[in-house]
Amino acid sequence: MWQYIVKRLLLMLPTLIGVALAIFLLMHVVPGDIALLILGGDQGGELNPQELVKLRAQLGLNQPLYVQFLVWLWGVVHLNFGTSLWTGAPIMEEIMIRLPLSLEVAIAATIISTLIAIPLGTVAAVRQDTWVDYVVRVVSIGGLAIPSFWAGILIILFLVIYFEWAPPLEFVSLFRHPWENFAQLVWPIVSVGYRYAAVTTRMTRSTVLEVMREDYVRTAWAKGLRERAVVVKHALKNAILPVITIIGTEFAFLIGGLVVTETVFTLNGLGRFMVDAIAHRDIPVVQTLVLLIACIFVLVNLIVDLLYAWLDPRISYR
Amino acid sequence: MRGFKKSMLLLSVVMLTGLSTMSSTLAEDKPHYGGVLRVALAGDPPSLDMHQEQTFMVTIPMSTVYNTLVMFDQHHYPKIIGDLAQSWTVSDDGMTWTFTLHQGVKFHDGSELTSADVKASWDKIVFPPEGVVSTRKSLYQMVKSIEAPERSTVIFRLHYPAASFLSLLAHPANFIYAKKYLDQDINWYKTHAMGTGPFKLQEYVRGAVLEFKRNPDYWKKGFPYLDGAKYFIIPDTGARAKSIRADRTDVEFRGFAPAEVEAITAQMGDKVTVAHPGQPAHWGIAVNVDKKPFDDARVRQALSLALDRYEMAKTLGPLTGLDTIAGPMPPGTPWTLRPEELQALPGFGKDREANLREAKRLLAEAGYPNGFQTVLTNRAVKLPYIDFGVYVVSAWKKIGVEAEHKLEESATWSKSRLTRDFELLVDPFGFAAEGDPDEVMVKFTSSSPSNWGRFKDPVVDQLFERQKVERDTQQRAQLVQDMQKRIIERAWEIIGLWWTRVEVRSERIHNYEPQPSHWLNRRLEDVWLSAR
Amino acid sequence: MAIATRQARPVESPQTLPRHNLWEAMCKFVRTKPLGTAGAAIIVLMALAAVCADLIAPYDVYEINQQLQFAPPSLAHWLGTDEFGRDVLTRLIYGARIALFIGFASSFLGTTTGAALGVLSAYLGGKTDLWLQRLMDILLAFPLLVLALAIVTVLGRSIPNLIVAIAIPIIPRTARIVRSSALAAKENVYVEAARALGSSHLRMMVRHLVPNVMAPFLIVLTAQLGSAILTEASLSFLGLGTAEPTPSWGLMLSGGAPMYAEKAPWLAIFPGLAISLAVFGFNLFGDSLRDALDPKLRHRT
Repeated sequence: MWQYIVKRLLLMLPTLIGVALAIFLLMHVVPGDIALLILGGDQGGELNPQELVKLRAQLGLNQPLYVQFLVWLWGVVHLNFGTSLWTGAPIMEEIMIRLPLSLEVAIAATIISTLIAIPLGTVAAVRQDTWVDYVVRVVSIGGLAIPSFWAGILIILFLVIYFEWAPPLEFVSLFRHPWENFAQLVWPIVSVGYRYAAVTTRMTRSTVLEVMREDYVRTAWAKGLRERAVVVKHALKNAILPVITIIGTEFAFLIGGLVVTETVFTLNGLGRFMVDAIAHRDIPVVQTLVLLIACIFVLVNLIVDLLYAWLDPRISYR
Repeated sequence: MRGFKKSMLLLSVVMLTGLSTMSSTLAEDKPHYGGVLRVALAGDPPSLDMHQEQTFMVTIPMSTVYNTLVMFDQHHYPKIIGDLAQSWTVSDDGMTWTFTLHQGVKFHDGSELTSADVKASWDKIVFPPEGVVSTRKSLYQMVKSIEAPERSTVIFRLHYPAASFLSLLAHPANFIYAKKYLDQDINWYKTHAMGTGPFKLQEYVRGAVLEFKRNPDYWKKGFPYLDGAKYFIIPDTGARAKSIRADRTDVEFRGFAPAEVEAITAQMGDKVTVAHPGQPAHWGIAVNVDKKPFDDARVRQALSLALDRYEMAKTLGPLTGLDTIAGPMPPGTPWTLRPEELQALPGFGKDREANLREAKRLLAEAGYPNGFQTVLTNRAVKLPYIDFGVYVVSAWKKIGVEAEHKLEESATWSKSRLTRDFELLVDPFGFAAEGDPDEVMVKFTSSSPSNWGRFKDPVVDQLFERQKVERDTQQRAQLVQDMQKRIIERAWEIIGLWWTRVEVRSERIHNYEPQPSHWLNRRLEDVWLSAR
Repeated sequence: MAIATRQARPVESPQTLPRHNLWEAMCKFVRTKPLGTAGAAIIVLMALAAVCADLIAPYDVYEINQQLQFAPPSLAHWLGTDEFGRDVLTRLIYGARIALFIGFASSFLGTTTGAALGVLSAYLGGKTDLWLQRLMDILLAFPLLVLALAIVTVLGRSIPNLIVAIAIPIIPRTARIVRSSALAAKENVYVEAARALGSSHLRMMVRHLVPNVMAPFLIVLTAQLGSAILTEASLSFLGLGTAEPTPSWGLMLSGGAPMYAEKAPWLAIFPGLAISLAVFGFNLFGDSLRDALDPKLRHRT
């Protein structure tokens, strides 16, 4: 097992470097002169040439491309992401201010949705074609289709109009002021998580259904074990595998959902920071955030793969 | 006996109730120390140096950190009182102003304020060194020199006796900085906040909040009352209104649209106070006259004629507060063009169809019978920028002008403005002092840094020069009106609408009255909050 | 005769679309999959509305009408008017045009490129396959919206740029799925035979691999269409996509809608419903299509 883990971790490295290279190329090569992009001037205005020179020096753009990449990569490995053009502060600092909030929303949404979705999907499968099943199916398809920012808008409106309540404006740590923290984040978590829950519910339901048709399940049933034991032990264990894969891939969608949700709820998280940075043409920040998000995603997928391998004895540790 | 006891009991209950009610109402009038004022702010300040910036996003939070030389009385606008200046005298010819400063004024870092600091700050404003922006410097074109002969004396020598000088001096953007830091780095104040004011900048988390804490050593003893102030950055207009409704913030210092004010008052009733302090700003369109076809006056006039300002006011009024039609000078002043005069000018007539025909005719004459395509650069702020832009773009379609509505974030839009990176630009202007023509009309002179379109009209320049030295009010009014007519006729700037500001605040805020401009009365030094 | 020919061929992989009886297949689909048909109906209706927008839209989409500001739904204006007096139904119809145009263009671009890469990768095998796979893995490391945002940052905000920005994340997702189907098809005895006969590479790919990947290709296309529409709406909502006064659904939800929601709730409801309905339709149709063509793919898309 350990061999497998180490092997996977090593395989991850070239992917991460490739990711960093892709981002670097995107931000530096695609737009032509990135200093020009940052300073604007696409309508032919009077750009101050001194400013251009200064910015190019500041960003180290006068060196050959591969040197720039290696310098940046070296910095990244040491968690030195450079300085934000907008705030003037080290990017690492700015990220650390906002990371706890986004992380909390992402993790809470994942956990809560999974805790809701798996039982719900299982129940729907077990009670297939009953009203429970139909309700679950309709609600989860609805959940898939509703854009999370629309749901967020409607939630806020509802809260303000009928309860005269809006979430607190400042982020406080969960560990210090749990109630305030909950008040601020519960609705964003719901907003981001329900789609996640919908997808996971559907997936759980369909895999449980399939597994329940399998021979070994029917054998267990025939043996007379209590229904619940059958379902939980045999069916769920095997059904969980594709579900876990789905959780991994849907995490990407969740991160995307976080970007819009933080904007809707005016949360000071990484998602909104990215949107602000784009609006301010703060390329170093955008670069760093995209890298960070991609790395998190690769890591999550790794965890999912490892979980999958651990749970499924049929997979050999190649 | 029993009856007597009963009535004594009743009497004492009544008296006690009466006394406590009286004391609580009296307590209401007595300033209460403590509390943090929570303000909803629409965006991040591009930098912290007000001298180099033009947006309320800097003025509103940063005014708490600094003092100015003189200021508008917080409670008796437009009366001007001294802030750092204790008193002042004017020479008989009106060309020498001598200010005596308060003694014992300390900066937040402990050093004492002297006239050298005042001179350094004002030199930066009026005579900015190379590479330093001072967008309001042409307001002070009458200033010849600034001297600091003694520790507590500052002398302003003028080129000519300007009637507007004192009120322009009281403009809220003229923060007094410390010479020590300006000498180190003239742009030091872009990223640092250090003044003599009632509050100190505690923390600034970009995109989130600016936090200010009380200055316990404020030189005006006994002030401020507040423990601090927090400015929450909430870019979405709806979210700002909701923050007031849910009591997450106490006030929004710029202004809300009428529709939102309705919703807020419907929900909160008398827990909020609504004020209509005035009409400080105007939204129009600056034209880059160096780009074809805008060098042709006929094209500019056509663009102006295509706008039915009466309908525009009716449409945009309830949405944005842009509801008043006037010329370049704000409504309600001695310099304002009278409605009859205004209606005779092109673009302000009431015959809509005739205006459209004329516009099309002018375009055809200029060589664009089928219109043309262009770009309208606008700021990505909903109220009233985007709505104004949407209306204008839609109106121009009628004469065949297809304008792409290019939205830019505030800092980028500022930059585009500065570097003239636009064809047409949504252009706000107004007044933050008194609305004197020297303040408002200077923008239309050819040498003004805020003449974004860089048009040069010698007639306009001449009229401005004459009015600025004219001491007879009536003559001056005539000159100003002629200047306005000329600008409208030549359509150098496409005049839009004036904005009626509506400020909503919690009724817990005391000793504070909003003033016409949202830049004014932002120091908060004598404002207090009643307990919850 | 036709029957004899069919029996003479080696076992057809279950993924080949029966080309001769598309009409029959469609009828079977309608009969057996009511949900999918409903989804298809929604899509067709929206597409029709989008294409015939100029004909069926009751009002001008840009014209501002002061007298009609905030008019509630009525016979004259079925879905009411917005803050500028513009008819909401008209704006939704033109919004469908934008959503479907950008959605189709970007997912088409993405899936076609991805499918081409997938087929190429599977066919050529060896080092090329390995490198292409690595490339796709790297692209897959980015969540869809985040990658689209990054691309919009460097390219700018125009509609062609939006299409590219949304298409690029779709490429690796398609390539992966198409590649595995193409790999399976490659094993087909028929291909070996053709190779032995000396067919050119291109001919081989087009004649033998491509038809076998049509099914997964179509499935991915419909699946990505829904998400492309959602991505465009999200980008416009964030202020990084289309700009006012363009009638994009996402944009309609970010502007006046939340602000005027008490005065005019229809402004916040209908554009959201439109987006939901579109995504819903594509999901329903896509699900049923996948079930019809290849139930084995259920866990992969």
